[in-house]
Amino acid sequence: MKLLRLLTVGACAALWLLGVPAAQAQGVLLRANVAADTLRPATGPNRAFFSHFYLGYAAVAGKFDGPGATLRYGRSGEVFAGMRQKYRLSQTAAIGLDLRYARLVYHLVQNDQKILPTPDQHQSESFALPQAQAEVYGRLNLGRRGNVVGRYLDLTGWGGWIISSAHHYVDKPGPNGAGRVEVTERKLNYINRWSYGVGARLGSGRYALVARYRLTDSFKDLGDAPRYPEFPRLVIGGELGLF
Amino acid sequence: MPPRQHAPCATIVSSWLLQLTILLPHHLRIHCLFVRAFFLLLGLGLSGITHTVHAATPSTARYWVVLRDKAGVRFNPATYFAPQALARRQRQQLPLTDSTDFPVRPDYLRQVRAVVDSVTFVSRWFNAVSCRATPAQAAALCRLPGVRSVESRPDGLPMLPATQPGAPERGTPEVSAADHQLAFSQTASLGAADFRRAKLDGRGLRIAIFDVGFSGADQHAAFQHLRAGKRILATYDFLKKKPYVYAGGSHGTEVLSCIAGLLPDGTALGLAPEAEFLLARTEQMHRERFAEEEAWLAAAEWADQQGVDIINSSLGYTSRRYFPEQMNGRNSLVARAAAMAVRKGILVVNAAGNDGLDPEWRTIGTPADGDSVLAVGGIDPDNFLHIGFSSYGPTADRRLKPNVTAYGTVLAAAPGGYVRTQGTSFASPLLAGFAACAWQQNRNLTAMQLFAQLQAAASLYPYYDYAHGYGVPRASWFTGSAQKKPAAATFDFVAQSDSMLAIIIRPGIGQVAARPLPLYSDSVAVMPPSKEKLAAVPAVGREELAPPVSDSAEKRPPAGATPTLPDPPSYLYWHVSDRRGVLRTYEVLEVKQRAVLQIPLRSLQAGDTVQVHYRGFTSTYSAQ
Repeated sequence: MKLLRLLTVGACAALWLLGVPAAQAQGVLLRANVAADTLRPATGPNRAFFSHFYLGYAAVAGKFDGPGATLRYGRSGEVFAGMRQKYRLSQTAAIGLDLRYARLVYHLVQNDQKILPTPDQHQSESFALPQAQAEVYGRLNLGRRGNVVGRYLDLTGWGGWIISSAHHYVDKPGPNGAGRVEVTERKLNYINRWSYGVGARLGSGRYALVARYRLTDSFKDLGDAPRYPEFPRLVIGGELGLF
Repeated sequence: MPPRQHAPCATIVSSWLLQLTILLPHHLRIHCLFVRAFFLLLGLGLSGITHTVHAATPSTARYWVVLRDKAGVRFNPATYFAPQALARRQRQQLPLTDSTDFPVRPDYLRQVRAVVDSVTFVSRWFNAVSCRATPAQAAALCRLPGVRSVESRPDGLPMLPATQPGAPERGTPEVSAADHQLAFSQTASLGAADFRRAKLDGRGLRIAIFDVGFSGADQHAAFQHLRAGKRILATYDFLKKKPYVYAGGSHGTEVLSCIAGLLPDGTALGLAPEAEFLLARTEQMHRERFAEEEAWLAAAEWADQQGVDIINSSLGYTSRRYFPEQMNGRNSLVARAAAMAVRKGILVVNAAGNDGLDPEWRTIGTPADGDSVLAVGGIDPDNFLHIGFSSYGPTADRRLKPNVTAYGTVLAAAPGGYVRTQGTSFASPLLAGFAACAWQQNRNLTAMQLFAQLQAAASLYPYYDYAHGYGVPRASWFTGSAQKKPAAATFDFVAQSDSMLAIIIRPGIGQVAARPLPLYSDSVAVMPPSKEKLAAVPAVGREELAPPVSDSAEKRPPAGATPTLPDPPSYLYWHVSDRRGVLRTYEVLEVKQRAVLQIPLRSLQAGDTVQVHYRGFTSTYSAQ
């Protein structure tokens, strides 16, 4: 108890030294520091700075740019999750930076025209290109609003690094009497690891429609090796902000 | 002011990308042309989608058009205003009419109509027209000779399905003893018995209620006396532009009951059961649009025309449209509309807000931020202290808000019976009923005189803080002269050793109930409210979205017990304010001993004032 009392006296002394009015010997039922209550934060959906996580899915759209591969639509797409920073310039304009992980998968139709990466046909075949991406964007906000995200259009430019490329296929039945054979080839030397592109987002609050277009080629120019048809460059999907 | 035009997304994207194309090397231009085409299509498609969703007519937006003058307009107040509106002006020695009452110039209105897609509302008070127009039409509006400014007013988020008539039943027909006790004390705390003895019940006063909807109010037994006496004079839905208001939500029903509702046994839920009412629907339950503020203004002009004395608005607008630092009573249309209503002699009573637990907002919304709007905060019926969710003051320009407080938890009439609910939405009508009785006693008071008297009648006056305002108004202040005498001193300021200011309660003042003595009583502890009391409450106007409040079992009175009002606890309130009267800090203390408070003098700045209130007595110490 002595210790408790000493602590209490010490706390009161500290308060006194700090210049804070000290109420002694009473139960404080309500205490307010007006300066703290009315402090206006610099962070918030429509404040100087805003940061939040998001996730989404975008389906691959468009076609290969030549014969030799056909995309399985619906299954081909990009799952992504990331963190967004927004810096407010004015009520209608903002800029920002996204950092995200995106796992892009292309599923291929198996047919006689197929040459990517070989003419061999399988039960199923896909390329997985998980990436780390950074994206800068300019935001145009529509309408007057308070501290909310509101409706907006983002124009973006992004760059990415393919963390690990993989070519995956399944044969069923497999060779040599096997019932099923799954093969995954990694570190594909014909895949470009760096990519960049442009994009757009049209959003309202936490929901957004997203489109991204890749400007770089997917495959390296390997001299005398046959040139593969280019993967579709466009993904279109939706995004959910986590805030 | 030129209109803020929103060019279609496709056009913006397209033009940006065109410039980008020119800057890039040739091998990338092919990509950019593709991208440009893609974004053009995306922009066209998505802007089409969004416009279809949020606009009545594709490609139009809402604009607020302020006209230049009212020159040459003729106006006869006797034909426009109800006799009660003229009488109100005469009583308050206001001019029967001023230019803000005049209609807008018909030629200007014709010019606007000829240009825009549709006109949705014409405001006499602000000499303005709300309309829907395309950006091109808005640009044409700016060129009209009669137009002073054009301001874009965004629409809200996509419309959710409108609430159907016959809202789900929230109330239950049974009224428990605890409910009965709450119903009794929510008016008794304001001094209902004093008003009753003085035969003050709101008779002859006209009260307009602006709300979300009044589902079930046309059938509920709690309002049978209003229907029988034909005292619901008029109704109008300013969003749907039709007279039917008994749909859209039951929030308005609950609010109305806190002014004039009756329990089956005749217990009044509010203080003005004999007043006359005008019910206006100005608010939608599931969205926030600027159109609601225009509806509020339209309803206020309508209420003025109909001779209303008091507007109760249990509504508030916060983060969807504004920032806390804009809450100064001058930014929002609805705050300016409320100020204009007061200028016409109407007392505007508004809920302070339910954002006290919201760290992003915490302070009052609008129109409670108006300096002439009586902002009503909520107190906890269990301890008569600020109830957690009730929004704090001050305003952005550091004026006192809330002005006064009343119960933040009430028993209210709702479809299906009665419901225990909470929110400052219900403190506001309790005060509106109180104000009606006070005004009934002295009809010659102006709206702002009544405003001042309502503050002066409050339990803490002249002490104030940003949680309780001046406290809970007391009917006895109006009905009994004894209450207006200065209270006897209950404590003294004592300077201790030139470094400490002590507040010592005088001997014989206050009793402490017999209880086991603690070993030490000199510890300082902030007593946190229970988790239940810290539960967030939806925004004002939307309290019905929360489940009804349950009564605490340990405090449940036995069935058939006569309701009583417990004596309000005697806390010690103290604050430190600067030389402008803006508070730096404030506290409420539970008094356990006579040496109640010590304040280090070094913590006070020159010009600071320490004000202390205990048992009706307020005293001030000024720092040099």
